[in-house]
Amino acid sequence: MKLAVVGKGGSGKTTTSSVIARTLARSGRAVVALDCDSNPNLGISLGVGDEETERLVSMRQALDEGEEEHANNWDTLISRYGSDGPDGVRLAVVSRIDNPEPG
Amino acid sequence: MRLAFVGKGGAGKSAISGTFARTLARQGDKVLAIDSDPLPGLAYSLGLAIDHTPPIPDDAVIERKEGEEGPRWRLNPDVDPFEAVDRWSVEAPDGVRFLQFGKIKGDPKDLWRSQMAFRFIINKLPAGRWNVVGDLPGGTRQAFTGWGTWANTILIVVEPTAKSLLSGRRLARMADLDPENPKRVMVVASKVREEGDVEMIAKGTGLEVIATVPWDEELAEAERRQLAPIDFAPDCPAVRAVESLVERMSEEKVA
Amino acid sequence: MSPEQLLGSVEFPEDDVVVADFEAGVGTLTRLGEEHVDTVVIVVEATPKSLEVGARAAALAAERTVARIVVVANRIRHDEDLQTVKAAFPGMEVVGVPHDPKIVEADRKGVAPIDLDPNAPAVLALIGLASTLIPTSN
Repeated sequence: MKLAVVGKGGSGKTTTSSVIARTLARSGRAVVALDCDSNPNLGISLGVGDEETERLVSMRQALDEGEEEHANNWDTLISRYGSDGPDGVRLAVVSRIDNPEPG
Repeated sequence: MRLAFVGKGGAGKSAISGTFARTLARQGDKVLAIDSDPLPGLAYSLGLAIDHTPPIPDDAVIERKEGEEGPRWRLNPDVDPFEAVDRWSVEAPDGVRFLQFGKIKGDPKDLWRSQMAFRFIINKLPAGRWNVVGDLPGGTRQAFTGWGTWANTILIVVEPTAKSLLSGRRLARMADLDPENPKRVMVVASKVREEGDVEMIAKGTGLEVIATVPWDEELAEAERRQLAPIDFAPDCPAVRAVESLVERMSEEKVA
Repeated sequence: MSPEQLLGSVEFPEDDVVVADFEAGVGTLTRLGEEHVDTVVIVVEATPKSLEVGARAAALAAERTVARIVVVANRIRHDEDLQTVKAAFPGMEVVGVPHDPKIVEADRKGVAPIDLDPNAPAVLALIGLASTLIPTSN
């Protein structure tokens, strides 16, 4: 099941995503959380802590800057650029950090 | 003064920058408020009843002809930046002029030309006549590349939350991205409730906190009612705090 | 790879759940393909700006996908707020989440709301929402 959470910045998207992800994981599902925001914060709401969130962001930046190889498949992506969070939620930062588009 | 407000969505950027623009205009300064964020915001905080101002026309931007040198796109030479501001901006209360490119209702692809025209016009506007107060999108890089080159000073609006601090830190790190256009970067602490919030923000960003705007129910209520905070609650603590910020920025002549 | 490319191309195992926290605004939605997502959760507050973005998101989601759309009315302080949101999304599923000091506290501390207080009103409301999103096996 693929679920997208959208809304104006500051409305509570990330908090909503995090509780949904953690709840579904607790119910026994394998959950993958994708942070698609160019300003990634989902890790904090999921409970991985701000240091780990920052680490994932730097990894993503390294990928964008070509320092790291692109992962061609999902498992590689998650194992290399993702993180295991509480309740077994796996988190990956997906979006390009320096999005040249406005807004 | 050429000042850009940036920060993660929800921090109160629009309410603060709109109130700032109105206050500066009341001092007798000529103020141009600009909104380059495609998501709605600044117009309401300025006290404008409608948020859908017409987009800058497509032909304001022209393409390089075959064989010509130079950048692919540039401002139509017939477009004078001062005239453009007069023609395409909308008058807000206290004489503030408001300029924005087309809003979210349009197809983003159709709007990119007017977005480019917007950038060219603002970047070409000679310093001196207009004080420019702008709201920049919440994303991380825009303030320090392309979208914010017109600004001399960047104010990062930060709330006392871990997420807002993280965004603030990222923005702070980008301050040196464009050494040819050095900018002064400072922080406005927003929605402050507790002792220690300001210190947390200062420490977390590593920057000077130049103003503290307290958590204010009336500011939130103004937003719900689509009214400018300076009209709805002129004496509320948040508006007062922004007024102090205007005084501070004017005195320092930093912007 | 962009979010929409990822959602469109990667073969996620069928029983997996993918929760994608999109970029603020509707940019990614404008690029979404028909089967990229099964459900779109639109988070709004009872303020004009938030509702405007939400309405645009709902229109795009309905145009571009066959997903189920659920609106979360967030930071609800009184029934009027909830009614304001419901009026903005007539005929659609709207779930109210109350304004909650525990969420504010979790944000300040940088911890997961579900860890700070799993019984906080807003957390319970979101847990309730989550349970309607998939059939949970008992």
